[in-house]
Amino acid sequence: MVLAMALCAFSFPTIINRAADSDARKSTTPFTSHSHGETDLLFQSLHKLNQVKVRKRPGVVYASLSEGAEYHSQRPPTPLLDTINYPIHMKNLSVKELKQLADELRSDVIFHVSKTGGHLGSSLGVVELTVALHYVFNAPKDKVLWDVGHQSYPHKILTGRRDKMHTMRQTNGLAGFTKRSESEYDCFGTGHSSTTISAGLGMAVGRDLKGERNHVVAVIGDGAMTAGQAYEAMNNAGYLDSDMIVILNDNKQVSLPTANLDGPIPPVGALSSALSRLQSNRPLRELREVAKGVTKQIGGPMHELAAKVDEYARGMISGSGSTLFEELGLYYIGPVDGHNIDDLVSILKEVKSTKTAGPVLIHVVTEKGRGYPYAERAADKYHGVAKFDPATGKQFKGSSATQSYTTYFAEALIAEAEADKNIVAIHAAMGGGTGLNIFLRRFPQRCFDVGIAEQHAVTFAAGLACEGLKPFCAIYSSFMQRAYDQVVHDVDLQKLPVRFAMDRAGLVGADGPTHCGAFDVTFMACLPNMVVMAPSDEAELFHMVATAAAIDDRPSCFRYPRGNGVGVQLPPGNKGVPLEIGKGRVLIEGERVALLGYGTAVQSCLAAASLLESHGLRLTVADARFCKPLDHTLVRKLAKSHEVLITVEEGSIGGFGSHVAQFLALDGLLDGTVKWRPLVLPDQYIDHGSPADQLAQAGLTPSHIAATVFNVLGQKREALEIMSSRN
Amino acid sequence: MRCGYGLAAVPGSDARFFTLDTSFLRLRRTVNPTRIQFGSFKIKAKIDEARKEMSFYELLGIPETGTLPEIKQAYKQLARKYHPDVSPPDRVEEYTEWFIRVQEAYETLSDPRTRALYDKDLALGIHLAFSTRRRYQYDEELEERSEWRNRWQSQLSELKRRSMNRDAGGNMSWGARMRRQRDEFSKEQ
Repeated sequence: MVLAMALCAFSFPTIINRAADSDARKSTTPFTSHSHGETDLLFQSLHKLNQVKVRKRPGVVYASLSEGAEYHSQRPPTPLLDTINYPIHMKNLSVKELKQLADELRSDVIFHVSKTGGHLGSSLGVVELTVALHYVFNAPKDKVLWDVGHQSYPHKILTGRRDKMHTMRQTNGLAGFTKRSESEYDCFGTGHSSTTISAGLGMAVGRDLKGERNHVVAVIGDGAMTAGQAYEAMNNAGYLDSDMIVILNDNKQVSLPTANLDGPIPPVGALSSALSRLQSNRPLRELREVAKGVTKQIGGPMHELAAKVDEYARGMISGSGSTLFEELGLYYIGPVDGHNIDDLVSILKEVKSTKTAGPVLIHVVTEKGRGYPYAERAADKYHGVAKFDPATGKQFKGSSATQSYTTYFAEALIAEAEADKNIVAIHAAMGGGTGLNIFLRRFPQRCFDVGIAEQHAVTFAAGLACEGLKPFCAIYSSFMQRAYDQVVHDVDLQKLPVRFAMDRAGLVGADGPTHCGAFDVTFMACLPNMVVMAPSDEAELFHMVATAAAIDDRPSCFRYPRGNGVGVQLPPGNKGVPLEIGKGRVLIEGERVALLGYGTAVQSCLAAASLLESHGLRLTVADARFCKPLDHTLVRKLAKSHEVLITVEEGSIGGFGSHVAQFLALDGLLDGTVKWRPLVLPDQYIDHGSPADQLAQAGLTPSHIAATVFNVLGQKREALEIMSSRN
Repeated sequence: MRCGYGLAAVPGSDARFFTLDTSFLRLRRTVNPTRIQFGSFKIKAKIDEARKEMSFYELLGIPETGTLPEIKQAYKQLARKYHPDVSPPDRVEEYTEWFIRVQEAYETLSDPRTRALYDKDLALGIHLAFSTRRRYQYDEELEERSEWRNRWQSQLSELKRRSMNRDAGGNMSWGARMRRQRDEFSKEQ
């Protein structure tokens, strides 16, 4: 210990010097300027290290951290990476330098994610793959597609966005997923999984139709392979026989996030065991050699026969898993060690140089979180992290007085399931995100993870409902879009009592428009048999879970946002009381102006009301609770006794406000004296950023609501006042 | 000469043991059967070191080309002799150590895979005792990786071979047709 302290004290200047040496290659030295300014931080970080192991590799500038366990709170030295701004700068590197580049890239990713938060584990797993791909192929002419996109951090660093990495997932900064409008190197926007093979095939076919010769590479993970679309795409690719490369990034993490509360999740579904059989299979190489000899003997002209024999031989030899891809028409190569740049580069070069290869699938085996021991050891492999300290791996999680709506939902469901043994829960590979991991721990037999297959989840729930069970489908509002036909045809049309718990409704912050749940009110409330409701706070959420459990003759759904509760008292024992269906409530009695909110927008309404108190206006604030069936009495009363009725919701056009308008029109209330105005999400996609920024851009903050009130009342000056005084 | 010294020292610790049971020490290397008094701590340490130097084959008393039944027989014999329950009371510790080493030798040599790896190491002049198991796991992984390399190398050569004839006249897939069209067009250019 004393030695370590001494080392700390004495090695501190030497690290600075070494950094200065290593920066000799380039003229500007951002590291040294950092270090002089913030020497205390560096010293403290060194103090925190368990092992101060200083390693020097001969002839190579020290940059690796994987074995030396030296993590920098400051920017780590990356001499080689500093010379790479675009993939074209990599073309002259040797394989040894590529390895160094991968190490530096890894430490850079860890450094940046530690400062901004984001997806770490998956990015670390594909560092070598990214380097190899950009070395061998010529982006942006050659297309590289990243499925889901959260592993694209190394890709972004290598393609000219390194200097913006500190803005990752922030307002006006880099997106956390690939985005076409951000860079020409991001050829396809991803965020929902399993889309790259389809998109890649489209790009390949487009290239063929135009007569061009670039390459198309689609990287897809083993988790994304559990979605049907991947097979639809592979089937089509095999049929069309267009040249493209699919890289199956297999890290044996067939679920997202990759752990439940008690440890890593064992792979979901039968596919993963097939993949692991593929990895561990020991083919009979002698038989393969014999097969080769046989085809040689058959001779030149009999190409097709030779090919057939070979195919059978391959089928016999290469293991029971690869035939799945072979049957779909993709040529299978692998498994390949995904962290060995030598192997990756040689395989990619070979495949690239092969003419008329058709669709090829390269099965690459990687390790999620590789290279950062804390990530490797963590159960969830640090899939998504908040800001953390690189030296210790500890995340800086903000503390909050209330818990998230997700947690409240899980607790509510557990309370209901304790009382009723027919309640089961279904999710699509989002055990952590939907909170159902908590439910899983309590009721292991009643929680179903179907993999990334929302469509199947919904129909599966419909089947369960046929048998008299009470299924709760917890699917993000945004992912529910995938399962829409199943909701309409399999659930609503047959009036099966499936309950949909739509988390992440409304704006979601850093994840951006790919995960934004703007449309669920619209597409759920237009269905004839669906009961559509939304809680305005966490206590209401408990009651609505109970209500949904009680609705047994028709489907129902409720939506709640990302974020924490407001701090109201929870019902005793976490057990909600079923609400009367189709009845809202009035929170504040006022006059002249009524704000009718739906869901957590009610909180913004309450805030707006208190803003306007100081201006002498006492508003009525009502919580509609149900969009369908709408509380006609409440709406009628509000319309008849107020001058202005403003409906507020965090959803797109066609949702709650439209239903209110429809009712007002049919009831003749629009012919009278009331002025109705809707406040909805604007007709554009709101970019990623902090929730406050997004709400401001959408125009749904309390200030906006208050300003709208003034505008309708004709008090334009006060409206401007409110808008300019908000901070 | 490591084994010579070691084996000389071991019987020195138990002269009776050595003279009664020389048959098991069918050594390929010459032995100097001097008697060294089992006295000082230093010598004991050296004896332990030396014991570790013995290869598994020497330990079991079988030639390196010994077959599985021979290994089994040698193991059974020695296990019966060195088992703590039947060893003489004043030499329990020693015998137990022998027993453990014999046990390890048998486990390594009875499994053909681990035996193959061990033989490879021995040929290189490395002899590792208790750490061998961990090394074998690591080696297994390396072996697996090299299996993988062999496999994908043959897959790649297969791909090359296959793609030579793919777009021959008979192939009517959409992709093949487009490729032919593109090649013809660029030929015309």
